Amino acid sequence: MRTFLVKRPFFLNACLVALTLLLSVAFGSVFIPPKDLLSALLGQISLDQTNATILYEIRLPHTLLIALTGAALATSGAAYQGLFRNPLADPYLIGVASGAGLGAVLVMARNWPATPLGYYAVPAAAFLGALITVAAVYSIARLGKTVPVTTLILAGVALSSFATALSSFFMLYSENELRRALAWLLGGAALSGWPPVIAMLPYVAVGLSVLLLSGHQLNVLQLGEEPAQQLGLPVERVKVLLIVAASLCAAAAVAFSGMIGFIGLIIPHALRLIWGADHRRLLPLSLLGGASALLLADLLARMLFAPEVLPVGILTALAGVPFFLWLLRRAKAQMYW
Amino acid sequence: MKFNTLFRTILLITSLLAACGAPTAEPTAASDTSISLTDGLNRTVSLATPAEHVISLAPSNTEILFAIDAGEQVVGRDAASDYPAEALSITDIGDTYAGLNSEIIVSLQPDLVLAAEITPVEYVAELEQLGLTVFWLANPTDLDGLYTNLNIVAQLTGREVEAIALIESLQGRAATVEAALAGVTEKPTVFYELDATDSSAPWTAGGGTFIDLLITKAGGQNAGAVLDGDYAQISIEELLVQNPDVILLGDAAYGVTVESIAARAGWDQLAAVQTGQVFPFDDNLVSRPGPRLIDALEQLVRLLHPDQFN
Repeated sequence: MRTFLVKRPFFLNACLVALTLLLSVAFGSVFIPPKDLLSALLGQISLDQTNATILYEIRLPHTLLIALTGAALATSGAAYQGLFRNPLADPYLIGVASGAGLGAVLVMARNWPATPLGYYAVPAAAFLGALITVAAVYSIARLGKTVPVTTLILAGVALSSFATALSSFFMLYSENELRRALAWLLGGAALSGWPPVIAMLPYVAVGLSVLLLSGHQLNVLQLGEEPAQQLGLPVERVKVLLIVAASLCAAAAVAFSGMIGFIGLIIPHALRLIWGADHRRLLPLSLLGGASALLLADLLARMLFAPEVLPVGILTALAGVPFFLWLLRRAKAQMYW
Repeated sequence: MKFNTLFRTILLITSLLAACGAPTAEPTAASDTSISLTDGLNRTVSLATPAEHVISLAPSNTEILFAIDAGEQVVGRDAASDYPAEALSITDIGDTYAGLNSEIIVSLQPDLVLAAEITPVEYVAELEQLGLTVFWLANPTDLDGLYTNLNIVAQLTGREVEAIALIESLQGRAATVEAALAGVTEKPTVFYELDATDSSAPWTAGGGTFIDLLITKAGGQNAGAVLDGDYAQISIEELLVQNPDVILLGDAAYGVTVESIAARAGWDQLAAVQTGQVFPFDDNLVSRPGPRLIDALEQLVRLLHPDQFN
């Protein structure tokens, strides 16, 4: 059985995603009989007003948001790890998280008025902040027509620290908004309902499709930049494309779900340990694996201390690390970076 | 597909998608309504009949609802609502900062959700999307604003009579305080401590806050009035210069005692510490914009001018 599953990674991961999706929709603070839920989803019966609202307006969009976020974070994490050829790379390496945090804190500190945009000011500002920071990091690190990877990392770390310091400053001097900003930074999904899912979908879809198609390029890049260039790969263009696509995914994920760590770092590694580092396989597997992992973490976050909801970011850190350590110990083959 | 073409296509699609606007709020249908009020977010909230199933999203709102005798109409309250004791037996719907539970809120089938200034505006939008009626009650800036809020909540819950009686009683108590202080010229300086984890720069309430207002009404002078912002840190040096006559420990609920502050570096030089004018204070009275603000006023006067008011 185990060999059967291990030899069919896509089947296994797809099953996991389906299972976690169903569990996530089935569990919540209000008990809806699972049979009714399934029948309602399959269109056989219709639930009463309250349960229908809970299912279609709260649980379904939340589940999809979390699944999209997990998929976006894990895939962009795998792409960054391949791009930088560094096992410590995660989607937040070149400033997405701190830029998004700064954008969100700025908007929360200034208490935007409640116009229709005002409700979405925080994720919009977070998204813009993330993209502006990545653009700044890229232009700082660029040397003529090339972007040395080491410089990119250093510039990313420097600008991240700067953005974090600025957002700490604004949090302290923003009067009442400190707790709200902290809650956002801990990684709770700030918005619910369908609008954030619809808003997030285009960016994540575009980013993910680009990344999924770049598996072969990433494989070639592992040989080193010069050998790859000599083999005919347009290295600089590939780097830009990967940075843009991965940052789009990560920025959208952070903007609508807050700061969720460890998914982008640990899931690709875990998948690499089991199924190897061929990026043509690793990237789609990261998509599926990230979605199911975050769905599971979110489920736990909602159920452990009901009716209160833990920020998902705390749970991914607490649960993700021991799981990864266990996996490390069990890995018999050498590590694939 | 050639890599170049792919690259350009992706860039084009991305820039086109960036033009996608945010979804707009759906317009609500107008209907024949007898109660129509404007809330703190400039939204018009309409109810056909006074609300019978209210969910309170803040402890201040819970206190207001119970004070105007609408406690029976409350079906859900936030985790921090602990006054009066009857509120504790009402369904807990989560905590503003840790996360309010939308599923439980929807399952309670409220006809009114009473939000406060601590409720994020995004959450108000979310609840509206779920089809609920939400009223966002802004914080008052003075006592008249408090009475206005009491009136608003009374109209929403059909308790106008009780509210009038409550407001009259509160106004009477405030007037008694004012009368007792007539002719008193001496204004003791008060330092209201919110948090002193860093004892060289404790947090206090700045000028223009309700704490500042109540201290002034109680015949005192807020040491933190020189600072900007609602909550600000004052340095111990500035505190030594101002040398407050009275220190109020708003963080007494977190274990700060009269004895513990004398142990802090430099604090034993303060006149208030030396003369024993350090008192614990229930911060919930001043931090919740509800009827207990008058309780806070009376307690402050008792501490600052014990001869005039008892």
